[in-house]
Amino acid sequence: MAEMQTLDLELGATSGTLPATASRQRIESIALGTAAIALLLLIWELAPHFLPIKAGTRLFFTVPSRIFATLWEMFSTGSIWAPLGVSAAAFAIGLALAIAAGLPLGILLGRSKTMNAMLDPFVTAFNATPRLVFLPLLMLWLGIGMWSKIAIVFLGAVFPLLINTHEGVRNADKVLINVVRSFGASEWDVARLVILPNSLPFIVVGVRLAIGRAILGVVVAEFFGAQDGLGVVMVRAASSFNVDIVFAGLIIFAGLSLIMTGLVRLLEERTSRWRPQRAANE
Amino acid sequence: MATQPSVLSGFIGRHRTVVLGGAAVALFFAAWQAIFLVLPFNPLFITKPSLIAAGLLDLVESGDLFHDLAVSAVPFFLGLFGAVVIGVPVGMVMGRRVRIGYALDPLMTVFYASPLVALAPLLVIFFGVGLPGKTIIVFSLAVFPFVFNACAGVRAVDHLLVNVVRSLGGRERDVYLKILLPSVLPYIIAGARIAVGRALIGVLVGEFFAASEGIGYAITRFADIFAVDRMFACILTVMVIAIALTEGIRWAERTAFPWRFGQ
Repeated sequence: MAEMQTLDLELGATSGTLPATASRQRIESIALGTAAIALLLLIWELAPHFLPIKAGTRLFFTVPSRIFATLWEMFSTGSIWAPLGVSAAAFAIGLALAIAAGLPLGILLGRSKTMNAMLDPFVTAFNATPRLVFLPLLMLWLGIGMWSKIAIVFLGAVFPLLINTHEGVRNADKVLINVVRSFGASEWDVARLVILPNSLPFIVVGVRLAIGRAILGVVVAEFFGAQDGLGVVMVRAASSFNVDIVFAGLIIFAGLSLIMTGLVRLLEERTSRWRPQRAANE
Repeated sequence: MATQPSVLSGFIGRHRTVVLGGAAVALFFAAWQAIFLVLPFNPLFITKPSLIAAGLLDLVESGDLFHDLAVSAVPFFLGLFGAVVIGVPVGMVMGRRVRIGYALDPLMTVFYASPLVALAPLLVIFFGVGLPGKTIIVFSLAVFPFVFNACAGVRAVDHLLVNVVRSLGGRERDVYLKILLPSVLPYIIAGARIAVGRALIGVLVGEFFAASEGIGYAITRFADIFAVDRMFACILTVMVIAIALTEGIRWAERTAFPWRFGQ
């Protein structure tokens, strides 16, 4: 709900302001945002010079420059690619399966009230529960390794997709559906002409949420039950007090998450761009 | 949008939904119980509802379940409380002060987007496996939904209202207390629904990692000793609690702010 609300707000803000002030605001927002991050990093970097840090604490303490040096080393030596590849494979397969299952189910639940009533308790239950709770069970069933990872990614990603698709299908304009029906359209035509275009922005939001859940799934699954992957590298580093690598891994996960959600956000703007325009043309 | 007939049909539809949903759940458990009449039953990997019920009864009678739940509840609520107390004011200021919003938005987005559970091993090493470590994991996961929702709530406030209070001589404090806080409340409750889920993840991660008690620890321990029936009992308990919390908040949203559910 909050998700869609912010979407509307962003659209309203960009269309409402004049181009000149908009660009100035944009520059200001980028400058201030960068400055805040830079300031935080600077304080963190300089903290050991001002604050007395106990020898015991120093074991867990690191500064940004060392983290970035570690990150650079991981990429320049290429030691990162193998574990990252394993994590990426689990992420991609899990997400693909989630899309393959979530979209059709979402459309089905959106179109059929009976199916929705019957499956809603399960969807609500699984969506409310942190999927992490099933990890020990999945490890018992699927073993430690790729498949339990894929399963947890799938479970995390499928529900946002299903629920958003369902929401999008349900929100399709009843009048439009009736108009298309009156002109003799079949159920398939209704889906193709009205429901799919209408629910596309919802689906894209679902994909964005699913990406975040999927990355979370990869991290958590690799923390508790896996033999390789970036998460495993991080846990091993943490247990040998190699804090730099933990933070480097976190940065890689966060970076990937931001890049992917950013790309989907672009798609989101692209897919919902026609809405206000069409409203104006009518 | 909500006209009289749609309210009425919604009422009837809801009862239909409850009946169909209940039937589906009952059918699911019945099928689960019955399928082992056909399939071979291996108690090391799978269990059936009758055994889960027995396991649950066992856990309830011995008091283990309530002990574990109580242990897990403390960091859960402390972390959530901290998240509200810190997250809501930060988010409101970010929404009200445009430049502070500009400055903090990217930072918060980075934190929100990054899988902060990844820091759990460090937090556990740093703060120990007990209450402080778990509370901090819960807090760090739960605080961002409050920040972002409070911020979005303030930004959605009608500027006319702010100007009216200002014109009538209201100070910044009045703006915050008389306009922003009441209008942000629905957003905060919506944020709480997301935050509760994340807080549960925090508790579970903390307890999966390293703990000697708590519901998350119970699940991993039963998995380790292949006590599938009691593991399922614990998993179902967590599911029921999670559903009760999120649906409870949803109910609170509907009763307190019905206009947000107009469409």
